[in-house]
Amino acid sequence: MVIQFFTYILQGTSVTLAVTLVALPLGLILGLAFALLYNYGGLWVSRLAAVYSLAMRGVPPVALLFVLYFLLSGRLVNLSPFWAGSISLGIISSAYQMEILRGALQAVGESQMIAARAIGMSRFQAIRYIILPQAIRLAIPPWSNEASIVLKDSSLVYALGVPEILRRAQQLSATTQQPFLAFGAAALIYFILVFLANRGLDLLAEKTKLPNAAA
Amino acid sequence: MREFPPILQAKNLTKTYGENVIFKNISLDVYKGETIVIIGPSGTGKSTLLRCLNLLTPVDSGQIFLEGEEITAPSVNQDQVRQKIGMVFQNFLLFNHLTALGNVMVGLTKVKKMPHNQAKEKALQELERVGLADRAHHYPAQLSGGQQQRVAIARALAMDPLVMLFDEPTSALDPELIGEVLGVMEQLAHEHMTMLVVTHEMGFAREVADRIIFMEKGRIVEEGTPEDLFERPQQARTREFLGRISELYGKREKG
Amino acid sequence: MKTIIRFLAFLVLISLPLSGCREAPQSRLERIKQAGVIKVGTSADYPPFEYVDESGNKVGFDIELMEEIGKRLGVKVEWVDMPFDSLIAGVQEGKIDCSISAFNYTEERDKVVDFSDPYYTAEDAFLVAETFTGTITQPEDVAQYKVGVQSGTTQDDWLTNVLKMPEQNLFRYDRADQAALDLKSGRIEVMMADAIPAKALAQKIGGLKIVYTGVLSSGPMNIVLPEGDTELAAAINDILKQLKQEGFIDQLAQKYLTE
Ligand SMILES: Nc1ncnc2c1ncn2[C@@H]1O[C@H](COP(=O)(O)OP(=O)(O)O)[C@@H](O)[C@H]1O
Ligand SMILES: [Mg+2]
Repeated sequence: MVIQFFTYILQGTSVTLAVTLVALPLGLILGLAFALLYNYGGLWVSRLAAVYSLAMRGVPPVALLFVLYFLLSGRLVNLSPFWAGSISLGIISSAYQMEILRGALQAVGESQMIAARAIGMSRFQAIRYIILPQAIRLAIPPWSNEASIVLKDSSLVYALGVPEILRRAQQLSATTQQPFLAFGAAALIYFILVFLANRGLDLLAEKTKLPNAAA
Repeated sequence: MREFPPILQAKNLTKTYGENVIFKNISLDVYKGETIVIIGPSGTGKSTLLRCLNLLTPVDSGQIFLEGEEITAPSVNQDQVRQKIGMVFQNFLLFNHLTALGNVMVGLTKVKKMPHNQAKEKALQELERVGLADRAHHYPAQLSGGQQQRVAIARALAMDPLVMLFDEPTSALDPELIGEVLGVMEQLAHEHMTMLVVTHEMGFAREVADRIIFMEKGRIVEEGTPEDLFERPQQARTREFLGRISELYGKREKG
Repeated sequence: MKTIIRFLAFLVLISLPLSGCREAPQSRLERIKQAGVIKVGTSADYPPFEYVDESGNKVGFDIELMEEIGKRLGVKVEWVDMPFDSLIAGVQEGKIDCSISAFNYTEERDKVVDFSDPYYTAEDAFLVAETFTGTITQPEDVAQYKVGVQSGTTQDDWLTNVLKMPEQNLFRYDRADQAALDLKSGRIEVMMADAIPAKALAQKIGGLKIVYTGVLSSGPMNIVLPEGDTELAAAINDILKQLKQEGFIDQLAQKYLTE
């Protein structure tokens, strides 16, 4: 019975991963766009981006989830609970990823931009070939942290009835009256996922790391 | 002897930052193949002038001509103009994520759209020119300041510029590394590269410059050949400045 | 490569159950019958009414009842599991056709959704630890103890709005079993819940006893239906009537609600 029990919760992993693999890249694309707008978009665009960041970091994820699924979906667009949930999480994560990338872009510094412009690069080329490759390296460690958060926050889509790990644990806890076993199993799975994700990104950071001293 | 028009010509340039007038009505002619050294106290607007000349900073009024064409005209593609004017900065500003070779190549492949192999060959030639072919695969952090600055020079040279601008290229270097950078610049002067150099290295100015311009508080106070300025300065301010500068740097030059 | 394809297939699969809104001026019942599927929401964490077994199949009183209703409508039931708090919104916004989840009538809910005829009348119970030394002779007595309740239930409503419990003595839980565990560990002194699941919880967890049973908060259970859809309501009410007459519901109560 314990095996069966564990299997049922484990089956939620594919949902958790799917939600994460939609939300995280979506958040990255939006976050990068807003970070670039913030840093290079001029006064008003930059203010708008800041407002977006503030609003999306302020809104409770579940609230956005409900607005997107129950209020907007079916009227403007047709979204399944999975997509509504994943997109909501992606949008919220984009605000945090924007902050990470914004910081990284600023850390690279304006002088790299000037040097790039001085050899005839356009702003776009400078960002693409000079600023971003450096900013992304700087962003990997904090981004790894954000990836863990999104992985865990993906459980919120249960509010729309998407059967991910935590919802399954809740159900089995109710059935078996063994909450420690049920939530313990869920916690273990999350731990393994977060561990693997962080290790993977650590390796990536290690691989892309620039040498820092004369040999 | 001088070809007309000048290769780079500034007419009545005025630049302000808010209330602050950095320079007013500065005019300057740079002829093909000559080396001009600009000297003057710090805060005088020398860096700002160089940044204006290659359009990194817009001027408030005045015109700049490159090979007789007005590059301050609104219709001009500024990115293309900057390709033709090389710039070397006080703090090197190498691209930290690229090797020496990558730093020199990136302008060729991304801006000039040169095929990779051709770009690599040219980049290696430029590194050779500054004596760093053997450091091609080192990252900036693995190079000494002098080496970094030479890579920065190679990076600018690779674009085949019409003019090279140097903004205090040795000011951030330890004294023992200054020579290797000045050596490269001297060699460029001999190859008749057109250069506009802001520096406090009076030895270099004396030996290499065709003309020296003394700038103070946003004005050109005096200009002339090294002999004119060093031996027969016309202005009291020039004499004063040269006196102070030889006090500061003089000992090292003799040593 | 294979895993990528499998993953994509999986994404498509979970994105298939799209919302039911269509432009065609077709009634909901017609659409359900045409599709051969009725989408029913439930919160499968409330045994013995709705819960999952170890392999994840939905079972329970409500589940079996709704499966029978579906059969008689001539359609399959497609279960949509949601947390209890999301179900009303789900019906209201047409994401599900109806919901069965041990719902009781409340005026507040009635403003946004409709209710079927009652299919079962639930009693409330007060549950305490066997070591409990206080006295509860009438329902109002619980106000002096620390009382636990599942958040958003009729019991929560009764304690809050009818009894007007002092907030610092009222402990709200996401699920009933959490409250029962806290009751056992002494973090709360009394727990209020539906009588039948309360009995089941007491048995399962042990060391708990029921000190009062009666109809307080809830009374009858109803299926939650979309606001104003009289056609669907009539169809379901007809079937409920048949099932009551045939003794089907009594059999279900026997099976799930007594020990
Ligand atoms: N981006 C800027 N914004 C405002 N003021 C500036 C800026 N850059 C330079 N300045 C001011 O312009 C003046 C000249 O600076 P600079 O051209 O760097 O002088 P120099 O290179 O001769 O030392 C200084 O007073 C400096 O503070
Ligand atoms: Mg300067």
